[in-house]
Amino acid sequence: MSGADLPPPDATDAIEPPDDDVLAGELVLGVLSARERAAAQARADSDPQFAQRVSGWERRLAPWLGDAAPVPAPAHVWPRIRSRLGWQSSEAGPGWWQSLAFWRGAAILASLAAVFAVWISQPPVRQPPVAAVPTTIEPAYQLVTSLTHDDGSTAWLASVDPAHGTVLMVPVPHAADPQGRVPELWLIPPGKAPRSLGLVSVEKSHTVQVPQDVLAALGTGSVLAITLEPAGGAPAGVPTGPIIAKGEIRT
Amino acid sequence: MTDSNIPPPDAASPEALLAQVALGKRAAFETLYRDTSSRLFGICLRVLNERAEAEEVLQEVYTTVWRKAGQFDATRASAMAWLSMMARNRSIDRLRAMPARNTRTPLEMADDIADPGASPAQQAETLTDRVRLENCLRQLEPKRHSLIRAAFFEGSTYEELAARIEAPLGSVKSWIRRSLMQLRTCLES
Repeated sequence: MSGADLPPPDATDAIEPPDDDVLAGELVLGVLSARERAAAQARADSDPQFAQRVSGWERRLAPWLGDAAPVPAPAHVWPRIRSRLGWQSSEAGPGWWQSLAFWRGAAILASLAAVFAVWISQPPVRQPPVAAVPTTIEPAYQLVTSLTHDDGSTAWLASVDPAHGTVLMVPVPHAADPQGRVPELWLIPPGKAPRSLGLVSVEKSHTVQVPQDVLAALGTGSVLAITLEPAGGAPAGVPTGPIIAKGEIRT
Repeated sequence: MTDSNIPPPDAASPEALLAQVALGKRAAFETLYRDTSSRLFGICLRVLNERAEAEEVLQEVYTTVWRKAGQFDATRASAMAWLSMMARNRSIDRLRAMPARNTRTPLEMADDIADPGASPAQQAETLTDRVRLENCLRQLEPKRHSLIRAAFFEGSTYEELAARIEAPLGSVKSWIRRSLMQLRTCLES
Protein backbone atom coordinates (compact mmCIF):
# COMPACT_ATOMS: atom_id res chain seq x y z
CA MET A 1 0.00 0.00 0.00
CA SER A 2 2.99 2.31 -0.33
CA GLY A 3 3.10 4.57 -3.29
CA ALA A 4 5.16 2.01 -5.18
CA ASP A 5 4.49 2.69 -8.76
CA LEU A 6 5.16 -0.63 -10.42
CA PRO A 7 4.13 -1.01 -14.00
CA PRO A 8 1.19 -3.34 -14.28
CA PRO A 9 2.26 -6.86 -15.21
CA ASP A 10 -0.58 -7.15 -17.63
CA ALA A 11 -2.70 -4.50 -19.20
CA THR A 12 -5.87 -6.35 -18.25
CA ASP A 13 -4.92 -6.14 -14.60
CA ALA A 14 -4.04 -2.53 -14.78
CA ILE A 15 -6.26 -1.69 -11.86
CA GLU A 16 -5.64 -2.17 -8.20
CA PRO A 17 -6.98 -5.21 -6.45
CA PRO A 18 -10.34 -4.39 -4.95
CA ASP A 19 -10.80 -3.69 -1.28
CA ASP A 20 -12.61 -6.28 0.80
CA ASP A 21 -16.00 -4.72 0.45
CA VAL A 22 -15.78 -4.54 -3.30
CA LEU A 23 -14.57 -8.14 -3.39
CA ALA A 24 -17.61 -9.15 -1.35
CA GLY A 25 -19.75 -7.20 -3.80
CA GLU A 26 -18.13 -9.00 -6.72
CA LEU A 27 -18.82 -12.33 -5.10
CA VAL A 28 -22.49 -11.53 -4.60
CA LEU A 29 -22.85 -9.95 -8.02
CA GLY A 30 -21.48 -13.15 -9.52
CA VAL A 31 -18.65 -11.84 -11.67
CA LEU A 32 -15.81 -13.84 -10.20
CA SER A 33 -14.29 -16.79 -12.04
CA ALA A 34 -14.67 -20.25 -10.58
CA ARG A 35 -11.31 -20.04 -8.81
CA GLU A 36 -11.76 -16.53 -7.42
CA ARG A 37 -15.26 -17.38 -6.38
CA ALA A 38 -14.21 -20.47 -4.48
CA ALA A 39 -11.48 -18.48 -2.74
CA ALA A 40 -13.88 -15.73 -1.74
CA GLN A 41 -16.44 -18.26 -0.50
CA ALA A 42 -13.80 -20.00 1.57
CA ARG A 43 -12.85 -16.70 3.04
CA ALA A 44 -16.44 -15.89 3.93
CA ASP A 45 -16.59 -19.23 5.74
CA SER A 46 -13.59 -18.47 7.89
CA ASP A 47 -13.54 -14.69 8.25
CA PRO A 48 -16.62 -13.32 10.05
CA GLN A 49 -15.86 -9.76 9.04
CA PHE A 50 -15.75 -10.67 5.40
CA ALA A 51 -18.89 -12.77 5.84
CA GLN A 52 -20.58 -9.68 7.22
CA ARG A 53 -19.64 -7.74 4.13
CA VAL A 54 -21.02 -10.51 1.96
CA SER A 55 -24.35 -10.45 3.74
CA GLY A 56 -24.38 -6.69 3.44
CA TRP A 57 -24.22 -7.04 -0.32
CA GLU A 58 -26.76 -9.82 -0.31
CA ARG A 59 -29.10 -7.49 1.52
CA ARG A 60 -28.46 -4.69 -0.96
CA LEU A 61 -28.95 -6.78 -4.07
CA ALA A 62 -31.64 -9.17 -2.82
CA PRO A 63 -34.53 -6.98 -4.03
CA TRP A 64 -33.44 -7.85 -7.56
CA LEU A 65 -34.23 -11.48 -7.01
CA GLY A 66 -37.91 -10.69 -7.06
CA ASP A 67 -37.55 -9.82 -10.73
CA ALA A 68 -37.04 -13.34 -11.98
CA ALA A 69 -40.40 -14.60 -13.18
CA PRO A 70 -41.63 -17.57 -11.15
CA VAL A 71 -41.74 -20.84 -13.08
CA PRO A 72 -43.60 -23.83 -11.64
CA ALA A 73 -41.13 -26.55 -10.80
CA PRO A 74 -41.76 -29.78 -12.71
CA ALA A 75 -43.77 -32.35 -10.77
CA HIS A 76 -40.94 -34.88 -10.56
CA VAL A 77 -38.63 -32.57 -8.62
CA TRP A 78 -40.45 -32.95 -5.32
CA PRO A 79 -40.35 -36.76 -5.25
CA ARG A 80 -36.65 -36.53 -6.07
CA ILE A 81 -36.02 -34.18 -3.18
CA ARG A 82 -37.84 -36.61 -0.92
CA SER A 83 -35.76 -39.49 -2.08
CA ARG A 84 -32.56 -37.47 -1.73
CA LEU A 85 -33.52 -36.86 1.87
CA GLY A 86 -34.08 -40.57 2.24
CA TRP A 87 -37.79 -40.20 2.87
CA GLN A 88 -39.63 -43.25 1.71
CA SER A 89 -42.83 -42.43 -0.08
CA SER A 90 -44.86 -44.40 2.44
CA GLU A 91 -43.64 -42.79 5.63
CA ALA A 92 -44.83 -39.55 7.11
CA GLY A 93 -47.67 -38.98 4.75
CA PRO A 94 -46.85 -38.89 1.09
CA GLY A 95 -47.16 -35.60 -0.75
CA TRP A 96 -50.41 -34.92 -2.51
CA TRP A 97 -48.92 -35.58 -5.92
CA GLN A 98 -47.87 -39.00 -4.74
CA SER A 99 -51.26 -39.77 -3.39
CA LEU A 100 -53.29 -42.23 -5.36
CA ALA A 101 -56.46 -40.48 -4.27
CA PHE A 102 -55.19 -37.28 -5.83
CA TRP A 103 -54.37 -38.95 -9.10
CA ARG A 104 -57.56 -40.94 -9.09
CA GLY A 105 -59.32 -37.60 -8.73
CA ALA A 106 -57.14 -36.13 -11.45
CA ALA A 107 -57.91 -39.03 -13.74
CA ILE A 108 -61.60 -38.61 -13.12
CA LEU A 109 -61.31 -34.90 -13.79
CA ALA A 110 -59.36 -35.61 -16.96
CA SER A 111 -62.00 -38.01 -18.18
CA LEU A 112 -64.74 -35.57 -17.29
CA ALA A 113 -62.83 -32.82 -19.05
CA ALA A 114 -62.56 -35.01 -22.11
CA VAL A 115 -66.26 -35.64 -22.07
CA PHE A 116 -66.88 -31.96 -21.54
CA ALA A 117 -64.59 -31.06 -24.42
CA VAL A 118 -66.55 -33.37 -26.68
CA TRP A 119 -69.72 -31.86 -25.37
CA ILE A 120 -68.77 -28.25 -25.94
CA SER A 121 -67.45 -29.01 -29.40
CA GLN A 122 -70.93 -30.14 -30.36
CA PRO A 123 -72.92 -27.47 -32.10
CA PRO A 124 -75.15 -26.32 -29.31
CA VAL A 125 -78.29 -25.41 -31.20
CA ARG A 126 -79.46 -28.14 -33.47
CA GLN A 127 -79.66 -31.11 -31.31
CA PRO A 128 -79.96 -34.64 -32.37
CA PRO A 129 -80.49 -34.60 -28.71
CA VAL A 130 -79.13 -37.16 -26.37
CA ALA A 131 -76.54 -39.80 -27.09
CA ALA A 132 -74.22 -37.80 -29.36
CA VAL A 133 -72.27 -37.44 -26.18
CA PRO A 134 -70.95 -40.55 -24.57
CA THR A 135 -73.26 -41.14 -21.69
CA THR A 136 -70.53 -42.53 -19.50
CA ILE A 137 -70.31 -39.45 -17.38
CA GLU A 138 -69.83 -41.68 -14.41
CA PRO A 139 -66.08 -42.16 -14.42
CA ALA A 140 -65.44 -45.51 -15.90
CA TYR A 141 -61.81 -45.65 -14.78
CA GLN A 142 -61.64 -47.92 -11.84
CA LEU A 143 -58.12 -49.19 -11.65
CA VAL A 144 -55.52 -46.57 -11.11
CA THR A 145 -52.02 -47.92 -11.39
CA SER A 146 -48.97 -45.94 -10.53
CA LEU A 147 -46.04 -46.65 -12.85
CA THR A 148 -42.97 -45.83 -10.84
CA HIS A 149 -39.29 -45.41 -11.49
CA ASP A 150 -36.82 -47.59 -9.62
CA ASP A 151 -36.49 -44.90 -6.96
CA GLY A 152 -40.19 -45.13 -6.24
CA SER A 153 -41.16 -41.83 -7.81
CA THR A 154 -44.21 -41.84 -10.01
CA ALA A 155 -43.62 -41.53 -13.73
CA TRP A 156 -47.09 -42.21 -15.13
CA LEU A 157 -50.49 -42.86 -13.74
CA ALA A 158 -52.54 -45.34 -15.69
CA SER A 159 -56.30 -45.42 -15.31
CA VAL A 160 -57.42 -48.76 -16.62
CA ASP A 161 -60.94 -49.08 -17.91
CA PRO A 162 -61.49 -52.77 -18.65
CA ALA A 163 -65.07 -52.16 -19.74
CA HIS A 164 -64.01 -49.99 -22.64
CA GLY A 165 -60.63 -51.56 -23.20
CA THR A 166 -58.80 -48.29 -22.69
CA VAL A 167 -56.00 -47.02 -20.53
CA LEU A 168 -55.74 -43.32 -19.75
CA MET A 169 -52.07 -42.48 -19.36
CA VAL A 170 -51.28 -39.43 -17.22
CA PRO A 171 -47.55 -38.63 -17.21
CA VAL A 172 -45.76 -36.79 -14.47
CA PRO A 173 -44.05 -34.51 -16.98
CA HIS A 174 -40.37 -35.21 -17.39
CA ALA A 175 -37.65 -34.64 -19.90
CA ALA A 176 -37.54 -36.68 -23.08
CA ASP A 177 -34.75 -39.23 -23.45
CA PRO A 178 -31.59 -37.39 -24.52
CA GLN A 179 -30.81 -40.19 -26.96
CA GLY A 180 -34.11 -39.67 -28.71
CA ARG A 181 -35.67 -42.96 -27.65
CA VAL A 182 -39.39 -42.94 -27.00
CA PRO A 183 -41.44 -44.49 -24.20
CA GLU A 184 -43.50 -47.52 -25.17
CA LEU A 185 -46.20 -49.04 -23.00
CA TRP A 186 -46.40 -52.79 -22.46
CA LEU A 187 -49.01 -54.97 -20.87
CA ILE A 188 -47.48 -58.00 -19.23
CA PRO A 189 -50.00 -60.66 -18.16
CA PRO A 190 -48.74 -62.90 -15.36
CA GLY A 191 -46.28 -65.40 -16.76
CA LYS A 192 -46.73 -64.22 -20.34
CA ALA A 193 -44.77 -62.19 -22.83
CA PRO A 194 -45.21 -58.40 -22.95
CA ARG A 195 -47.68 -57.02 -25.46
CA SER A 196 -47.18 -53.56 -26.84
CA LEU A 197 -49.91 -51.00 -26.21
CA GLY A 198 -48.11 -48.39 -28.27
CA LEU A 199 -46.11 -45.28 -27.61
CA VAL A 200 -46.95 -42.89 -24.81
CA SER A 201 -46.31 -39.22 -24.22
CA VAL A 202 -44.03 -37.89 -21.50
CA GLU A 203 -45.96 -34.67 -21.20
CA LYS A 204 -49.60 -35.08 -22.18
CA SER A 205 -52.39 -37.28 -20.94
CA HIS A 206 -53.90 -39.49 -23.57
CA THR A 207 -55.93 -42.63 -23.94
CA VAL A 208 -54.49 -45.86 -25.25
CA GLN A 209 -56.76 -48.41 -26.90
CA VAL A 210 -56.03 -51.99 -25.91
CA PRO A 211 -56.20 -54.53 -28.78
CA GLN A 212 -59.12 -56.96 -28.57
CA ASP A 213 -57.01 -60.05 -28.21
CA VAL A 214 -55.22 -58.85 -25.06
CA LEU A 215 -58.27 -57.31 -23.48
CA ALA A 216 -58.71 -60.29 -21.20
CA ALA A 217 -55.32 -59.59 -19.66
CA LEU A 218 -56.23 -56.01 -18.85
CA GLY A 219 -56.95 -56.55 -15.21
CA THR A 220 -55.51 -57.15 -11.80
CA GLY A 221 -52.27 -59.06 -11.63
CA SER A 222 -50.97 -57.83 -14.97
CA VAL A 223 -48.12 -55.37 -15.08
CA LEU A 224 -47.92 -52.17 -17.06
CA ALA A 225 -44.37 -51.26 -17.98
CA ILE A 226 -42.66 -48.55 -20.00
CA THR A 227 -39.49 -49.17 -21.97
CA LEU A 228 -37.39 -46.81 -24.02
CA GLU A 229 -37.47 -47.79 -27.67
CA PRO A 230 -36.16 -46.41 -30.93
CA ALA A 231 -38.30 -43.69 -32.52
CA GLY A 232 -41.34 -45.36 -34.00
CA GLY A 233 -41.42 -48.07 -31.37
CA ALA A 234 -39.90 -51.49 -30.80
CA PRO A 235 -39.35 -52.83 -34.30
CA ALA A 236 -40.42 -56.43 -33.78
CA GLY A 237 -43.12 -55.89 -31.18
CA VAL A 238 -40.69 -57.09 -28.55
CA PRO A 239 -39.19 -54.71 -26.01
CA THR A 240 -35.57 -53.89 -26.74
CA GLY A 241 -34.79 -51.04 -24.34
CA PRO A 242 -34.59 -50.66 -20.59
CA ILE A 243 -37.69 -50.60 -18.43
CA ILE A 244 -37.95 -47.11 -16.97
CA ALA A 245 -41.20 -47.45 -15.06
CA LYS A 246 -43.64 -50.15 -14.12
CA GLY A 247 -46.59 -50.94 -11.92
CA GLU A 248 -48.96 -53.79 -11.26
CA ILE A 249 -52.65 -53.33 -11.94
CA ARG A 250 -54.48 -53.67 -8.66
CA THR A 251 -57.93 -53.02 -7.41
CA MET B 1 -62.57 -20.00 -10.72
CA THR B 2 -61.19 -16.91 -12.40
CA ASP B 3 -59.09 -15.84 -9.48
CA SER B 4 -56.65 -18.63 -9.11
CA ASN B 5 -54.19 -16.50 -7.18
CA ILE B 6 -55.67 -17.64 -3.95
CA PRO B 7 -53.81 -16.84 -0.79
CA PRO B 8 -52.32 -19.97 0.74
CA PRO B 9 -54.92 -21.72 2.87
CA ASP B 10 -52.63 -21.68 5.85
CA ALA B 11 -51.12 -18.24 5.60
CA ALA B 12 -47.90 -19.40 7.21
CA SER B 13 -45.08 -17.08 6.31
CA PRO B 14 -41.88 -18.56 4.91
CA GLU B 15 -40.23 -17.40 8.14
CA ALA B 16 -42.65 -19.41 10.26
CA LEU B 17 -42.29 -22.39 7.96
CA LEU B 18 -38.50 -22.28 8.10
CA ALA B 19 -38.66 -22.29 11.87
CA GLN B 20 -40.80 -25.42 11.72
CA VAL B 21 -38.48 -27.00 9.18
CA ALA B 22 -35.57 -26.37 11.54
CA LEU B 23 -37.44 -28.55 14.04
CA GLY B 24 -37.68 -31.30 11.47
CA LYS B 25 -41.34 -30.83 10.55
CA ARG B 26 -41.85 -32.44 7.18
CA ALA B 27 -45.29 -31.01 6.59
CA ALA B 28 -43.90 -27.50 6.98
CA PHE B 29 -41.14 -28.36 4.54
CA GLU B 30 -43.67 -29.55 2.03
CA THR B 31 -45.70 -26.36 2.41
CA LEU B 32 -42.56 -24.29 2.10
CA TYR B 33 -41.71 -26.13 -1.10
CA ARG B 34 -45.17 -25.58 -2.49
CA ASP B 35 -45.11 -21.89 -1.62
CA THR B 36 -41.61 -21.03 -2.74
CA SER B 37 -40.39 -23.52 -5.35
CA SER B 38 -41.67 -21.64 -8.38
CA ARG B 39 -39.89 -18.48 -7.27
CA LEU B 40 -36.66 -20.38 -6.74
CA PHE B 41 -37.01 -22.39 -9.93
CA GLY B 42 -37.48 -19.13 -11.82
CA ILE B 43 -34.22 -17.85 -10.36
CA CYS B 44 -32.30 -21.04 -11.19
CA LEU B 45 -33.63 -21.00 -14.73
CA ARG B 46 -32.75 -17.38 -15.16
CA VAL B 47 -29.14 -18.03 -14.24
CA LEU B 48 -28.66 -21.44 -15.81
CA ASN B 49 -30.92 -21.13 -18.81
CA GLU B 50 -31.25 -24.90 -18.95
CA ARG B 51 -34.09 -26.81 -17.40
CA ALA B 52 -32.26 -29.97 -16.47
CA GLU B 53 -29.51 -28.05 -14.71
CA ALA B 54 -32.01 -25.78 -12.99
CA GLU B 55 -33.97 -28.79 -11.72
CA GLU B 56 -30.82 -30.33 -10.37
CA VAL B 57 -29.90 -27.14 -8.51
CA LEU B 58 -33.43 -26.78 -7.19
CA GLN B 59 -33.21 -30.24 -5.65
CA GLU B 60 -29.87 -29.36 -4.14
CA VAL B 61 -31.22 -26.12 -2.70
CA TYR B 62 -34.18 -27.73 -0.98
CA THR B 63 -32.11 -30.55 0.42
CA THR B 64 -29.83 -27.90 1.87
CA VAL B 65 -32.81 -25.96 3.20
CA TRP B 66 -34.01 -29.06 5.03
CA ARG B 67 -30.61 -29.54 6.62
CA LYS B 68 -29.71 -25.93 7.30
CA ALA B 69 -33.01 -24.25 8.08
CA GLY B 70 -31.67 -23.68 11.58
CA GLN B 71 -29.04 -21.35 10.18
CA PHE B 72 -31.59 -18.92 8.85
CA ASP B 73 -31.29 -15.64 10.74
CA ALA B 74 -34.41 -13.54 10.47
CA THR B 75 -32.58 -10.47 11.69
CA ARG B 76 -30.36 -10.47 8.63
CA ALA B 77 -32.69 -11.26 5.77
CA SER B 78 -36.23 -12.22 4.96
CA ALA B 79 -36.82 -15.91 4.46
CA MET B 80 -37.61 -15.36 0.82
CA ALA B 81 -34.38 -13.40 0.33
CA TRP B 82 -32.41 -16.12 2.10
CA LEU B 83 -33.93 -18.84 -0.04
CA SER B 84 -33.57 -16.82 -3.23
CA MET B 85 -29.94 -15.99 -2.54
CA MET B 86 -29.21 -19.64 -1.89
CA ALA B 87 -30.87 -20.59 -5.17
CA ARG B 88 -28.90 -17.98 -7.04
CA ASN B 89 -25.59 -18.85 -5.38
CA ARG B 90 -25.97 -22.53 -6.09
CA SER B 91 -26.93 -21.76 -9.66
CA ILE B 92 -23.82 -19.69 -10.17
CA ASP B 93 -21.66 -22.39 -8.58
CA ARG B 94 -23.21 -24.82 -11.01
CA LEU B 95 -22.68 -22.44 -13.91
CA ARG B 96 -18.99 -22.19 -13.07
CA ALA B 97 -18.69 -25.94 -12.93
CA MET B 98 -20.27 -26.38 -16.34
CA PRO B 99 -18.06 -26.76 -19.38
CA ALA B 100 -17.54 -23.81 -21.70
CA ARG B 101 -20.73 -22.00 -22.42
CA ASN B 102 -20.68 -19.58 -25.25
CA THR B 103 -24.36 -19.77 -25.69
CA ARG B 104 -25.25 -16.46 -24.19
CA THR B 105 -26.31 -13.91 -26.69
CA PRO B 106 -24.20 -10.80 -27.02
CA LEU B 107 -25.20 -8.17 -24.54
CA GLU B 108 -27.32 -5.41 -25.78
CA MET B 109 -26.12 -2.39 -23.98
CA ALA B 110 -29.53 -0.89 -23.79
CA ASP B 111 -29.74 2.71 -22.81
CA ASP B 112 -33.07 2.20 -21.24
CA ILE B 113 -33.92 -0.56 -18.87
CA ALA B 114 -37.30 -2.13 -19.04
CA ASP B 115 -39.06 -1.79 -15.74
CA PRO B 116 -39.99 -5.23 -14.54
CA GLY B 117 -43.37 -4.64 -12.92
CA ALA B 118 -43.33 -5.65 -9.30
CA SER B 119 -45.22 -8.80 -8.50
CA PRO B 120 -48.31 -8.22 -6.41
CA ALA B 121 -47.07 -10.76 -3.94
CA GLN B 122 -44.14 -8.61 -2.97
CA GLN B 123 -44.53 -7.05 0.36
CA ALA B 124 -44.37 -3.34 0.86
CA GLU B 125 -41.02 -3.55 2.53
CA THR B 126 -39.43 -5.51 -0.28
CA LEU B 127 -40.95 -3.06 -2.68
CA THR B 128 -39.39 -0.11 -0.93
CA ASP B 129 -35.99 -1.82 -1.05
CA ARG B 130 -36.53 -2.62 -4.70
CA VAL B 131 -37.36 1.00 -5.46
CA ARG B 132 -34.33 2.21 -3.56
CA LEU B 133 -32.07 -0.15 -5.45
CA GLU B 134 -33.60 0.96 -8.73
CA ASN B 135 -33.17 4.62 -7.87
CA CYS B 136 -29.54 4.09 -7.04
CA LEU B 137 -29.00 2.11 -10.21
CA ARG B 138 -30.46 4.91 -12.21
CA GLN B 139 -27.72 7.14 -10.95
CA LEU B 140 -25.19 4.98 -12.74
CA GLU B 141 -24.50 5.54 -16.38
CA PRO B 142 -27.11 3.60 -18.38
CA LYS B 143 -24.46 1.34 -19.89
CA ARG B 144 -23.03 0.43 -16.52
CA HIS B 145 -26.52 -0.07 -15.24
CA SER B 146 -27.25 -2.69 -17.87
CA LEU B 147 -23.83 -4.24 -17.44
CA ILE B 148 -24.29 -4.73 -13.74
CA ARG B 149 -27.79 -6.07 -14.22
CA ALA B 150 -26.58 -8.59 -16.75
CA ALA B 151 -23.80 -9.61 -14.40
CA PHE B 152 -26.28 -10.20 -11.64
CA PHE B 153 -28.98 -12.00 -13.57
CA GLU B 154 -26.82 -14.16 -15.73
CA GLY B 155 -23.93 -14.76 -13.42
CA SER B 156 -21.47 -13.78 -16.14
CA THR B 157 -17.82 -13.50 -15.16
CA TYR B 158 -15.76 -10.43 -15.87
CA GLU B 159 -14.15 -12.30 -18.74
CA GLU B 160 -17.48 -13.22 -20.26
CA LEU B 161 -18.84 -9.73 -19.90
CA ALA B 162 -15.75 -8.28 -21.52
CA ALA B 163 -16.04 -10.69 -24.43
CA ARG B 164 -19.71 -10.02 -24.87
CA ILE B 165 -19.45 -6.28 -24.99
CA GLU B 166 -16.08 -6.39 -26.72
CA ALA B 167 -14.40 -4.17 -24.18
CA PRO B 168 -11.05 -4.62 -22.45
CA LEU B 169 -11.23 -6.76 -19.32
CA GLY B 170 -9.59 -4.05 -17.24
CA SER B 171 -12.21 -1.51 -18.21
CA VAL B 172 -15.06 -3.87 -17.41
CA LYS B 173 -13.57 -4.59 -14.02
CA SER B 174 -13.13 -0.98 -13.16
CA TRP B 175 -16.61 -0.03 -14.39
CA ILE B 176 -18.22 -2.67 -12.26
CA ARG B 177 -16.11 -1.99 -9.21
CA ARG B 178 -16.85 1.70 -9.43
CA SER B 179 -20.51 0.98 -9.93
CA LEU B 180 -20.51 -1.23 -6.84
CA MET B 181 -18.95 1.51 -4.75
CA GLN B 182 -21.41 4.07 -6.07
CA LEU B 183 -24.28 1.76 -5.34
CA ARG B 184 -23.09 1.13 -1.83
CA THR B 185 -22.76 4.81 -1.11
CA CYS B 186 -26.18 5.52 -2.53
CA LEU B 187 -27.88 2.66 -0.72
CA GLU B 188 -26.27 3.42 2.61
CA SER B 189 -27.07 7.11 2.46
